[in-house]
Amino acid sequence: MANTVIGSSIVIDGEVSGDEPITVLGQVKGKIAISQNVTIEAGAHVEADVEGQTVTISGRVTGNVVARERLELKTDAKMVGDAKAPRIVVADGASFKGNVDMDV
Amino acid sequence: MASDETCLIGEKITVRGQLSGKQDLVVEGRIEGRVALDSHLTVEPSGLVEADVEATKATIRGEIRGTLQATRQAILEASSRVTGKVSAPQIIIEEGARFSGEIDMEVPLPDGIRAGGV
Repeated sequence: MANTVIGSSIVIDGEVSGDEPITVLGQVKGKIAISQNVTIEAGAHVEADVEGQTVTISGRVTGNVVARERLELKTDAKMVGDAKAPRIVVADGASFKGNVDMDV
Repeated sequence: MASDETCLIGEKITVRGQLSGKQDLVVEGRIEGRVALDSHLTVEPSGLVEADVEATKATIRGEIRGTLQATRQAILEASSRVTGKVSAPQIIIEEGARFSGEIDMEVPLPDGIRAGGV
């Protein structure tokens, strides 16, 4: 099955939910609630609360992120919001402002 | 990033709200709300779109409930189920397609005759 892709020229204002991996290259405002992996690519702009299994961010995210397994902020990631995940990786170069909750 | 890559809403994905864009969109899942595309929309047999839809071209193999407005062409393929209003200069309905609603092809009518009778 091909992955769900929100393309770079696509703007979604609302809620994206479901049970398969998604990749965001465009803009999403509102909410992303996925029970699989969520990838936010470089160039993407997400103003939303994000929920996923593994959440990988290379783009720009404003909102709270909950990853049930792992949150990864790649080099180009810019994130403002609270992060909750049992494992969090922040790469050199990533910028992040917000609270971290690893459920310690 | 190339802007001509195809955008896909997978079978198990639901989008609620407004979706707009300039690239081709394939829907295998569900969209509720409004879709405004400057490109080609394809709704696959598993797709369900409950929305007001605008696109340049629309190929429907799944289900649409709402209004569908294509600036160029709308194709309702054999597996499609459409309820609502379809407007486009060119509309193709294949044998087997189920459609209930209104069609508007913007046909130029002869003088003295108005659409909708009377």
